[in-house]
Amino acid sequence: MLSLDQVSVTFNAGTVNEVRALRDISLLAAEGEFVTVIGSNGAGKSTLFNVISGAAQPDSGHISLDGEDITYWPEYRRSHDIGRVFQDPRLGTCPGLTIRENLSLAAIHGRSAGLRRDVKKAEEAWFFEQLERQRLGLEHRLDADVALLSGGQRQAITLVMATLTKPKLLLLDEHTAALDPNAAEQVIALTQQLAEANDLCVVMITHSMQQACDLGDRVIMMNRGRIEFEIAGEERRNLKPADLIDRFHSLQDAELSDAQLLG
Amino acid sequence: MTATASAANQPQASALSANRSFVLRGILLAVVVGAFMSLGNVNIGAIGQGLGYALAGVTVFMTFRVLGFVDLTVDGAFPIGGAACAILIVNGHSPEYAMLMGFIAGALTGMATALIDIIFKIEGLLASIIVITAAYTVTLHVMEGKSNIPLLGQETLISRYSKAFRTWLVEQFGDQMRRQSTNLLEIILFGFIVFIVLAILYWFLRSEIGLAIRATGKNPQMVRATGLNHNLMIIIGLMSANGLAGVAGSLVVQQFGFADVSLGFGLIVRGLAAVIIGEVLLRPRSVGQLLIAAVTGMLVFDISRAWIFSALDLPTTDIQFVSALVVLAALGAPRLYDRWKTYKQRLGG
Repeated sequence: MLSLDQVSVTFNAGTVNEVRALRDISLLAAEGEFVTVIGSNGAGKSTLFNVISGAAQPDSGHISLDGEDITYWPEYRRSHDIGRVFQDPRLGTCPGLTIRENLSLAAIHGRSAGLRRDVKKAEEAWFFEQLERQRLGLEHRLDADVALLSGGQRQAITLVMATLTKPKLLLLDEHTAALDPNAAEQVIALTQQLAEANDLCVVMITHSMQQACDLGDRVIMMNRGRIEFEIAGEERRNLKPADLIDRFHSLQDAELSDAQLLG
Repeated sequence: MTATASAANQPQASALSANRSFVLRGILLAVVVGAFMSLGNVNIGAIGQGLGYALAGVTVFMTFRVLGFVDLTVDGAFPIGGAACAILIVNGHSPEYAMLMGFIAGALTGMATALIDIIFKIEGLLASIIVITAAYTVTLHVMEGKSNIPLLGQETLISRYSKAFRTWLVEQFGDQMRRQSTNLLEIILFGFIVFIVLAILYWFLRSEIGLAIRATGKNPQMVRATGLNHNLMIIIGLMSANGLAGVAGSLVVQQFGFADVSLGFGLIVRGLAAVIIGEVLLRPRSVGQLLIAAVTGMLVFDISRAWIFSALDLPTTDIQFVSALVVLAALGAPRLYDRWKTYKQRLGG
């Protein structure tokens, strides 16, 4: 499904501010697989997503989706197949437009916009059903301006929009980090439900070790632009947050001694 | 089931009441402005002039408000549209064809700004200043090197009907209407054209492309994430917006009876004033209401300017200064009012 082959990204190459955000990353994720990505700030998690979605260009390496090389596709073209939800709830929906208009926009996904009516009667029932399933009561507020909704509600709508036209891949960039615990729980439940219902390949960045252990089939730990370790299979099923935190710390300790030696 | 249906109907009910209060504000405004005009002895020619310029106000609404694009191109698109229209009329083409070409000339000017913004990544403000500068020369070339083209004796939209309309008006209402016949004809013809253009634009903004254009101004990141080419939306948006400025230029050229290379001077300020006056007075909510507000704003602008002229008995040389004052009042009054409110609150607390 998703395949990254030795992808590298360097920012400010050749200057003192040079940052090697991704170093020869190779990654495979299959259809229906749910991968969680953890790592400290600056580990390259968001750059990884930017490279996959087309918001950033790799210096070297190749990215393919469903067997097709998408390395040089512009962002808007990739988004036919890739849904993305950001940490900031304001990024995924459009304020000033109603819920209905936002969903209509997402429904255009995968074909080009034409001169057809923006909000279609035929799609009404479909939208209602999609929102009804979330049990947030938003299906009765289709004409409400999205700017009036809470962060959790906006994130829930973003999720529905990102999966409305069944993409191949769903990228979740700490999409519950800005929400209160209650809203975060609801959005996570909705994420699982949508991923299973659509048999999506999901890659999720998270800072919550609990989430990394609860969700998905595989955990990837990133550090300084590399994939440091992967936990899958039997080990992943028995994984507890405390184990992950231990491994996280041992990594940082190793780094610390490196720094002390070099310093 | 019934509970669901009634809950779903609620937003529609609130939309209806929002429409009603908009219409009420509109009627109130019309009454106030009407009273103002008859008391202040303002000639109805000001309405015709406002209608001529109205579509340039819609241009500014489209670029600044819908696309969120700081675009001054209207200053260049307006005279180019007017020049194209005038030269075609002089060369014997029909006014309708000339106005269509005025639209296309304006649209191409808008496209130039959009392409400079997209290809060179120069932001809208600078890109449009570059285009205005170049547009001056293009306008001169369109007018075959002359800086002014008179339309005297040519068949324009107005001159075509003016004789028949005057005869009919005098027959129906007596000789005292003779003086106002051209002004009334302008109001009817331009009102009709503005209405048709607004109807088409409304339909366009409510299409899928229109929705994408509206979203581009609010959240371009999301438009890209939806798989739509947001650059294409900027191109289409700026082309349609500045095409309207070209139509406005074509109308004003026929109204004035000449095309001039400096016709677009200060137009952006006027358009901004129209948009803000419309928003302050009518508080529009939906797409349709916003379009009507922009046109209304331009009418109020022209009427208040005409009133200042007649009240103070100013010579026409002072026109730009008075324009600037009206714009300043439109921009400054809401802000001053807000500051006065907070000041009063502080005193009260």
